Amino acid sequence: MPLGARSEKFFGSFFQKRTSLLFRLLATGEGLAGLTMLAILLAVALTAPWLAPGDPLAIKGDPLLPPWQTMAHPLGTDRLGRDVLSALIHGTRTTLLVATAAAAAALGIGITVGTIAGFLGGWVDEALMRVAEAFQTVPAFLLTLALISVTGPRVPTIVLGIAIGAWMQPARITRAEILSLRERDFVAAARVIGMRPLEIAFREVLPNALTPVVSLAAVIVAAAVLIEAALSFLGFGDPNRVTWGSMIAEGRTVLRRAPFLSIIPGIGLVLTVLAVHLTGQGVAKALRTRRIAA
Amino acid sequence: MTQMPEGPMNAPTRRRLLAGAAALPFLPRPALAQKRGGRLTVAADSEPPNLNPAIIASNGVFFVASKVIEPLAEADYRAKDGLAPRLATSWEGAADGRSLTFTLRQGVTWHDGKPFSSADVAFSALEVWKKHGNLGRAVFRELEAVETPDANTAIFRFAVPTPAQLIRNALPALTAVVPKHLYEGTDIMRNPANQKLVGTGPFRFAEWRPGEYTRLVRNPAYWDQARPFLNEIVYRVLPDRAAAANALEAEEIQLAAFSAVPLADLDRIAKVPGLKVYSNGYEGLTYQLVVEINHRRKELSDVRVRRAIAHAIDRDFVVRAIFRGFAATSQGPVPKNDRVFHATDVAGYGFNPQRANQLLDEAGYPRGEGGIRFRLRLLPAPFFNETRQFGDYLRQALAAVGIDATIVSNDTPAHLRAVYTDRAFDITVATPVYRGDPAISTTILFQSGLPAGVPFANQYGYENPEVDALIKQAAATIDDAERVRLYNAFQKQVTDDVALVNVAEFSFITVARDNLLNVSNNPRWAVSNWADTGFAD
Repeated sequence: MPLGARSEKFFGSFFQKRTSLLFRLLATGEGLAGLTMLAILLAVALTAPWLAPGDPLAIKGDPLLPPWQTMAHPLGTDRLGRDVLSALIHGTRTTLLVATAAAAAALGIGITVGTIAGFLGGWVDEALMRVAEAFQTVPAFLLTLALISVTGPRVPTIVLGIAIGAWMQPARITRAEILSLRERDFVAAARVIGMRPLEIAFREVLPNALTPVVSLAAVIVAAAVLIEAALSFLGFGDPNRVTWGSMIAEGRTVLRRAPFLSIIPGIGLVLTVLAVHLTGQGVAKALRTRRIAA
Repeated sequence: MTQMPEGPMNAPTRRRLLAGAAALPFLPRPALAQKRGGRLTVAADSEPPNLNPAIIASNGVFFVASKVIEPLAEADYRAKDGLAPRLATSWEGAADGRSLTFTLRQGVTWHDGKPFSSADVAFSALEVWKKHGNLGRAVFRELEAVETPDANTAIFRFAVPTPAQLIRNALPALTAVVPKHLYEGTDIMRNPANQKLVGTGPFRFAEWRPGEYTRLVRNPAYWDQARPFLNEIVYRVLPDRAAAANALEAEEIQLAAFSAVPLADLDRIAKVPGLKVYSNGYEGLTYQLVVEINHRRKELSDVRVRRAIAHAIDRDFVVRAIFRGFAATSQGPVPKNDRVFHATDVAGYGFNPQRANQLLDEAGYPRGEGGIRFRLRLLPAPFFNETRQFGDYLRQALAAVGIDATIVSNDTPAHLRAVYTDRAFDITVATPVYRGDPAISTTILFQSGLPAGVPFANQYGYENPEVDALIKQAAATIDDAERVRLYNAFQKQVTDDVALVNVAEFSFITVARDNLLNVSNNPRWAVSNWADTGFAD
């Protein structure tokens, strides 16, 4: 990194680096497969109101129709006669929305805390890291469950609940990166030209520390998908929205009679988590090749 | 094992007769021989810490305790007044309604060997039922004294005229007799005998392993020397409903009551050879699926809106899809199976979305943006799978007539607080229990002026002076026919007002191995003493 890189210039080169990273990512088999699956899921989520118009919870036909029987309900109907296909499509929406929002929130909290702790050091670092450790001693899922049973199951609280259970890892990684970067010459130079400490931390140091943290996003998104499904399965999902977890929970009572009700959203979950993990692996691989090339 | 034939053998036709029994609850049961001995293992889903049925009249407690501690009389399909004698052999109410005389059974001993006498009944009535009983408190509120002229007679004296019919209807559930010699002078709520039960019943309490099982053993000194037939009853804790069905198929348990096998699984279970499904035996404990309405909410204070909600619900669909046929549709607060009190001439609200839309238009709530007239918070009680599913259905049914309901889901304590203490709801899905007489737990759903915090009661802000007057008058009426007339008028009034929307009446399903005999042979079978139940020879 050239000495005294100003932020505009810096962000420009950052994005340039990103695009070339994207090409390298697509060049890896995992990245191509993962990104394609994610793109399809995203397309389904975005076009859900056109693919399956109307309320996905509306009662449309006879209860418990098996799949592949009628054109009107290609994936059959559930115990109340709701169309499984529309529920699956709209479930993609909720699942992706909750997972990406939760991952974004977790990364946001984690990066902020990690940067402040790593750059300022001293008692601020001590205090923030002890808090992070306190959160890490409680299993993330229990933390989320506790928060939601107090605040009530609505999408914003579910997102917050998942983020609360997942911000510690990005915080620690960011802190470690910042610790190694803050002693560099360009930081000293920034101090000399009179930038304030937080400005230096967020504008100069953080962008350089970001790449390893971003590759953590895949892990967090995949975990968020599963936590959201588990919450819905336990009846702590938003009851006014369809989610894959609630579909599995609903299907569980008729598991022996109509196993498709649980299997179909289960396949959706498997594919989503697989896509996110493949993309994550692809990113890691692409980053390795970049480092070697550099 | 000694054979104890109970009647003529007709085993060859048994399968066919039993196969029809589920559809015909009152089919006379073929008398068969059951042998003495054997262990019956049943599925249990909860382990109440206090098992004293004299204090906690609930089905979870009765399921175990009714085999150990007996009431004065038990419900019966055929006997006079629908009651078969247990610890009392006969009862006679005075004409003025101020006293009721019980003749008690002789030669009964407690499980610890001490003799049973009228002193035990007097103590139980005055010190336990009246002071601590969750439902007994209301029914025996005016009980002043119990006279015991001799060891086999107990005369209940009431401060105000009390309907003998009400006391009779309360006998099976609210009159469990506990031993005076173990409870007198102790803190009744903390007495160890509330857990390690001592009674007069056909089975003795043997042991409780928390999280594993509760075991009862045969009482060899039972007053009916021919009974019981079983040697042991073991309640295996299986909180997961799917586990109960699997355990039945694997023959690990022989009986699952209270719909421990999910209704949706019944079609499959009914075809498994060796298993039998009973849909009767719960007539004395009918659950009612109702929509509770908060009358304080402006829109819902209009009777036309409430009628529209009643018209928006397809009761046949609810019975077919949610209860899979194991329920009956309902229009009023007294279930159809109570042939004494059920009023047939109440206002009916058939499924008619058009009429519902029309009523809502008339009430001044036209469809606005997105076809929505107004929004409601819907709190489905989390008690049963069926209440949650009906909540999902109700949201859709209301959406069809332009009412946008948002489901708010809570766990049981939060739900009870929101509805019955904070009254923070617009509509809910609830399951009150009808217990054989409107005065026991039904009129409280309509009576006004109750303090906040009394659960399963009118916290809905419903107030009708006429209804209050009818409830008060009926509570003090001792003539049977007059009581019936008053409660008919009461039913008519509350259904006209749509104080609540009654949707369905459901009870439970028992699944048992087909070699288990005398299952579901009285209206409270699952919570009765099982003295005549046994395995086929």
